[in-house]
Amino acid sequence: MKPEKAQLVIQGLKEAGVDFAAGVPDAQFIEVYKMLAEDRDIHYVGTANEAEAVGVGFGAWFGGKKPALMLATSGLLVATYHLARINLLHEVPVLVVIPYRGDIGDPRWMGLYKKTTEPGLNAMDIPYRIVSRSTDIVRTLKDCNESARAWLKPVAVLLNEEALW
Amino acid sequence: MVTRFTLLKELSALVPDDILVLTSIGNNSGFWGQLKDREANLFHLTMGMCSSTALGLSLALPKRKIVALDSDGNLTLNLGVLGTIANEAPNNLTIVVMDNQNYLGSNKLAPGMPTATAGKMNLESVAKGCGFDSACTVEDVAAFRDKIQNALASAGPHFILARVDALDKDAPKKSKRVPDPRENKYQFASYIQKTEGVEILGSGLGGG
Repeated sequence: MKPEKAQLVIQGLKEAGVDFAAGVPDAQFIEVYKMLAEDRDIHYVGTANEAEAVGVGFGAWFGGKKPALMLATSGLLVATYHLARINLLHEVPVLVVIPYRGDIGDPRWMGLYKKTTEPGLNAMDIPYRIVSRSTDIVRTLKDCNESARAWLKPVAVLLNEEALW
Repeated sequence: MVTRFTLLKELSALVPDDILVLTSIGNNSGFWGQLKDREANLFHLTMGMCSSTALGLSLALPKRKIVALDSDGNLTLNLGVLGTIANEAPNNLTIVVMDNQNYLGSNKLAPGMPTATAGKMNLESVAKGCGFDSACTVEDVAAFRDKIQNALASAGPHFILARVDALDKDAPKKSKRVPDPRENKYQFASYIQKTEGVEILGSGLGGG
């Protein structure tokens, strides 16, 4: 991901009101993670796995934070049980941001995640938007976090095509 | 050794009203709900999610004392969280692990299956290896009381491993209903809003 697009993700998170983030870095989003780790407005917690990140974000919400989870497509699979739990049992909002590896047009072979990402979100009843153009990154992050907080449930933003690679 | 219920009963007498207590699923939630019925409890934190939730809350509310009542099976499912906690180093957080060396499942009348701590795993050593400066093991009420009082009075993060019997044969019959996760969410979030002055629950209806 080019730094200027990563910067749009950070801008979108801030304009969405996000002030807390947790996750595990991945190659496609590494610029975003580096910016988050250095950002003064967003407390970023690097966790050992993505399920742990769900717990950290969930706990932060109870302390008045507006949390985002930064999950790779592989990490979404790791986080699934805890995400499903906070969505369907506790009903707590988090913004989930996913670089959508494996979608059509991805120059690398990551087809596994085409089979798991959207079906997984649908199975967990987590609404999502796919962002394909970088000009839509900021607004989509704002819209999705607003809905997450209104609906008291996780909402996901998936970045692909020109918005990602 | 001692039973979990005995230690939780002791803890219920030691914990001031304003300390937030987060409990793992199963007996930690069930017993704590009987012993300390109040708004400052967050119950039903599932396998691998108790200490991580406590970490997030402790970072969000750095001036508030927080106790996580975790257990051996729950913690070992997401053991990496101990390294994350040590690195983030929230000085307001105490992790208490009720280690009965056992997965009881739904059977509370007979031991279920052993956890790793029934074998060679030592969670105090794991915590120290992860970077906790304050980590200890207790096996009786007096030591438990001493370590809890010290943890609540000093800067953490603290890790207290309580080795307890597999079964809680001294636990009385359940007398109160523990709030379900959604009910508990509203209670706990409302309490934090009231006592911390933060906004958590928006109406989603345009009214704030």
